[in-house]
Amino acid sequence: MKSKRFEVLAARPVNQDGYVKEWPEVGLIAMDSPFDPKPSIKVENGRIVEMDGKTRDEFDMLDTFIADHAIRIDGAEAAMAIDSLDIARKIVDINVSRDEILAITLCLTPAKLTEVVGKLNIVEIMMGMTKMRARMQPANQCHVTNVRDNPVQIAADAAEAGVRGFAEMETTVAVARYAPFNAMALFVGAQVGRPGVMTQCALEEATELMLGMRGFTTYAETISVYGTEPVFMDGDDTPYSKAFLASCYASRGLKMRFTSGTGSEVQMGYAEGKSMLYLEARCLAVTKGAGVQGTQNGSVSCIGVPAGVPGGIRAVAAENLISMLLDLESTTSNDQTFTHSDLRRVARSVPQFFSGTDYICSGYSATPNYDNMFAGSNWDAEDYDDWNIIQRDMKVDGGLQPVREEEVLKARNKAARALQGMFRELGLPEITDAEVEAATYANGSNDMPPRNVNEDLKAIEEMMARKVTGVDFVRALDKAGFPDVAHSVYNMLRQKVAGDYLHTASIFDESFHVLSAVNMPNQYHGPMTGYQMSEERWNKLKDIPNAIRPEDI
Amino acid sequence: MDQELLMKQIVEQVMAAMNKSAAAPAAAPKACGTKVTAADYPLAENMADKIATPTGKPFASLSYEKVISGELSAEDMRIAPETLEMQAQVAESVGREAFAGNLRRAAELIAVPDDRLLEIYNALRPYRSTKQELLDIAAELDGYKATVAAGLVREAAEVYEKRDRLKKF
Repeated sequence: MKSKRFEVLAARPVNQDGYVKEWPEVGLIAMDSPFDPKPSIKVENGRIVEMDGKTRDEFDMLDTFIADHAIRIDGAEAAMAIDSLDIARKIVDINVSRDEILAITLCLTPAKLTEVVGKLNIVEIMMGMTKMRARMQPANQCHVTNVRDNPVQIAADAAEAGVRGFAEMETTVAVARYAPFNAMALFVGAQVGRPGVMTQCALEEATELMLGMRGFTTYAETISVYGTEPVFMDGDDTPYSKAFLASCYASRGLKMRFTSGTGSEVQMGYAEGKSMLYLEARCLAVTKGAGVQGTQNGSVSCIGVPAGVPGGIRAVAAENLISMLLDLESTTSNDQTFTHSDLRRVARSVPQFFSGTDYICSGYSATPNYDNMFAGSNWDAEDYDDWNIIQRDMKVDGGLQPVREEEVLKARNKAARALQGMFRELGLPEITDAEVEAATYANGSNDMPPRNVNEDLKAIEEMMARKVTGVDFVRALDKAGFPDVAHSVYNMLRQKVAGDYLHTASIFDESFHVLSAVNMPNQYHGPMTGYQMSEERWNKLKDIPNAIRPEDI
Repeated sequence: MDQELLMKQIVEQVMAAMNKSAAAPAAAPKACGTKVTAADYPLAENMADKIATPTGKPFASLSYEKVISGELSAEDMRIAPETLEMQAQVAESVGREAFAGNLRRAAELIAVPDDRLLEIYNALRPYRSTKQELLDIAAELDGYKATVAAGLVREAAEVYEKRDRLKKF
């Protein structure tokens, strides 16, 4: 006889997810693997000669890079000698400042960082995030894509996302050759929604850099690093090539961050029997050593792997905390779909959402799930109101705000028309009034008329050949009768000359004033310190259109 | 994947064409008298009169109208080595030495044309170059006075040799 209760439970969404028992030998373990190295360091003549149980002659490429570039040598031996539990306790001690913590953690090896965060429970990890993230005010990032790479829809969705509060937006492609259109549609749409939003287009490394150089994007993120040498090689890069690439971006005035996450090494089959968190600590050390300002981490597109093992989601929060302990901008994933369970997907986001990070999601899907070309997101457009209500319930600033339908429609329509005008002035295939109308009211690409893909791709090739750049967008928008949008695009291009937004955890406000860890450093040191929501901001967050006013009853 | 390759080829052709008409490489950063710090940040607001484009136009003189009239081009909307050096000093003033190092390496690379920069990046990928090819690149970077970047390439050459990641014949 079968239990009716168990029958009901078996049908629950959470039981459609995959789980696996720990298997440390192949790296299927979130943290504290018996095969993780014991922390150690030895410095001779200003050079690290032993690290995490290996002598220099035993170092692989990552060890060498980390030892030579990532760890502050002065004070390394002293910091490594502090008991990991003591360091963990300092992290949650409001009487020990962020700077005092960094003076220790910037001197630690990957194994030691792993050991330190391993002493913290999930609430303590969240406390650590609150104190250690780089920028005082949290922010959020979204994905803007669609299955048909429809640029009009991208512009409209970006405009809406701007109105809703996202500080950064990322697109990618279904068809790689569409990349320039996606990038320019995102750029224009974002500036219509909210001037000062930064935009990127995730592509193969060299192509991504090229689009940035030509002013189609303002930053980059998908610069992947990995925690073992074989996986790094499979990724067709080395810490040295990636460090060089990082400098290429900065040399063109473009902000960039690296990407890494737990689970990628075991997924690619070369975890070398180490825990996911230890390998991620190595990735973060490589990021630090390359001199990059920040990271997107939190398992990212490998979330299914840590989510399948015990303590995996805690490890994902712990890896975010390690990035903060290395003084990196923390862009904390909460992106790829990993579960059928609504309860689980909320719980997965609680640590970053409630603690606040530099970018809580990276990103939140600004489209319905079926249009998300990053394999779906943990949060999508259909969850906008859930996110807003959770902010209101908890009095937490998750970077978004409630909006009115009419203001969203206005922004979507304007973005579609601005792109229509810009396309016309640049001699690109026509965007019809019917497309503008559809994009204004669309939820997803099912609501959009199809475009002539061959004609678009031909036009893209021709446009790239005649060296169109962001400066041409400004002129075309001006000519098309959208001088305010043109001004915003110009202002974003102008920022590349000054380079203020290259710094850690930068965002722009709507006046193009940069806010980063330099001029808005996190100064949390206990209750009523750190980021305090202004009255104005709280009024905005709590003002949902569907709340009954007591005076109306 | 084919589409990506095609895209890349198109891009490379375009960039090669672009660089034929590119201006001469900018000079290496000049030494600044006093250090810039976080107090001067953001430079766009507080030091607009002290920064300039690589084409020598003061930041404060940039304007929307000049873009529309054609007086300013895409070549003007780039960062100059001196500005990156100032930003590196800002980074140092808030304890971010590694990041400052990256900005300095970047300052040196402004002089390297776009297409060559992409080629060097690709040459640094695993199994792409012999040791001699990497050392030649380092020497080429020295020619641009990109000594920090050249040092990184030499370091890579040593490590790739040790780890057997050089080009196989």
